[in-house]
Amino acid sequence: MRTSLRIFFLGGLTSYRALFHWLTPWILIPTFVVGPIFQLLFFAYVGRAAGVGDDTFYLIGNAVELASIPCLFAMGNTIGNERYTQTLGLLLASPARRLPLFLGRALPVVVNGFAVSFLVLVLGALVLHVSIPVAAWAPLVAVLAVCAFSCTGLGLASAALALRVRETAVLSNIIMGVLIVFCGVNVAVSALPAWMQSVAQVLPLTHGIEAARELVAGASWAAVMPLVRDEALIGVVYGAIGMAMLFFFERESRRHATLELA
Amino acid sequence: MPVIEVEALTRRYTTRTGFRRRTRKDVEAVRGISFEVGRGELFGLLGPNGAGKTTTIKMLITLLLPTSGSARVLGHDVVAEPREVRRRIGYVFGGDKGLYERLSGLDNLRYFAELYGVPAREQGPRIGELLELVGLTGRERERVEGYSRGMRQRLHIARGLLHRPDVLFLDEPSIGIDPVGARELRQTVASLTSQGTTVLLTTHYMFEADELCDRIAVIAGGLIVAEGTPAELKSRVADGHVVEIEVFDGVGDRLDAVRAIPGVTSVGVEDGGHSQLLVVRTDAAATVTPAVLGRLDGLALGRVATREPTLEDAYVELVRQA
Repeated sequence: MRTSLRIFFLGGLTSYRALFHWLTPWILIPTFVVGPIFQLLFFAYVGRAAGVGDDTFYLIGNAVELASIPCLFAMGNTIGNERYTQTLGLLLASPARRLPLFLGRALPVVVNGFAVSFLVLVLGALVLHVSIPVAAWAPLVAVLAVCAFSCTGLGLASAALALRVRETAVLSNIIMGVLIVFCGVNVAVSALPAWMQSVAQVLPLTHGIEAARELVAGASWAAVMPLVRDEALIGVVYGAIGMAMLFFFERESRRHATLELA
Repeated sequence: MPVIEVEALTRRYTTRTGFRRRTRKDVEAVRGISFEVGRGELFGLLGPNGAGKTTTIKMLITLLLPTSGSARVLGHDVVAEPREVRRRIGYVFGGDKGLYERLSGLDNLRYFAELYGVPAREQGPRIGELLELVGLTGRERERVEGYSRGMRQRLHIARGLLHRPDVLFLDEPSIGIDPVGARELRQTVASLTSQGTTVLLTTHYMFEADELCDRIAVIAGGLIVAEGTPAELKSRVADGHVVEIEVFDGVGDRLDAVRAIPGVTSVGVEDGGHSQLLVVRTDAAATVTPAVLGRLDGLALGRVATREPTLEDAYVELVRQA
């Protein structure tokens, strides 16, 4: 048990440091701060010019959605880059339990995703002069954390493909596009076609964004609790799918030599 | 009881190429090999590239499932009990990959110590001991991306020994290391077997196998073509002689003529930069040197020597016959 806990916490952090190649200021700041602020400003000013939605709407939507950058790419890196460093074989030849081994890698990613969301929210509020009620900040922080968690679940499922295919970044880019279109980031889910609304219900971020907007609008924590619960549940489901895929692809790699031939 | 038991082990790979017209190709990398390795033995697996050495090791360390046959390590089946096998073995491969470049050597070792369940209080002393063993003390806090190839290889060795494995698999561990580093590596490997660790080694370097291995299996085309002690393998060609002739001009079109000399069993050419070394293996009765020199008439020749066969000669002969 103690060994598994150490692999989960220490091993997870070590592999995040080892494999997430963006962990240098020259990549980190532009990717996690500068780029996200530009994205926020772009949509906020488009919204202003078109007269469809206020700055708060875009601030919340984009702040929550931008957690997906680390949640998808860092998660993909911390599993997929094992291939490039040729450490994947060594990892899979070790007796370490796979659940703490791979879930531990998700923990720093959740923290990273939350940090990006929070930073964009604070900086965006300052730049756009959006006033968020003081009472809303604490529950808002909790919602950002839950959204980072659920998006990391999706990231884990996407990263699991790295045991079968060479490249996961392309898929991460596509998923980011799906999230930004479907989850009510810049266009309310209710304004989307019915089939897109249905898809949105099973994606991470949708419920979290709705909960965050309601909190800023003055709703209580109790009122948004069902949304937050659904958001967390979606994260758990995607995380479970991700782990199942990792187990499956590891077994397949032994059978079909996919670590060598993929 | 043998530490490693391999029986009729086979592994087939299927590769597919093309997008619209998918073509499927089956390659039998290992074709029903059997061997055993005893406790504390250093067993060498020699063979040319693509012979099936690495595939065999990957099956033994549980990274690949055999297509058929069976393998047991320390009594545990590699298919049915992979975790039991993994706990007890170490795996080191050659080359400069397989390490986390962004981390220090120390953090690499700490991470693998966690993966192998080395208790926290034992990690520090064990890592210190291994750094000393492989000569990396003082460099352990530097990032691996700044390490030389030799340093990386030594770090690999330390990593493979962290959990005191009973069996160590070394897949071409000295590839690309300078002669001094390779000699130190051989000393390290030899000291492991003296402490009771069983080692399965693959290498291309015959002198390394000759110096280290208690027994050797020569593998070619997925089959074991010979097995025995280095002395036994050498004795297979001990009845013959080897004639080496240094040639300063191209030897190419004379090779067939040399091969045609009665008593010549094989002919090889080793490129030495400004010259070539013609290696002619003969059977016991033959005295072919004058005939060979006759076939090379007109070429600028250097040193001519006759010597006893080495393990490399035995290996070349065995692989040639396979």
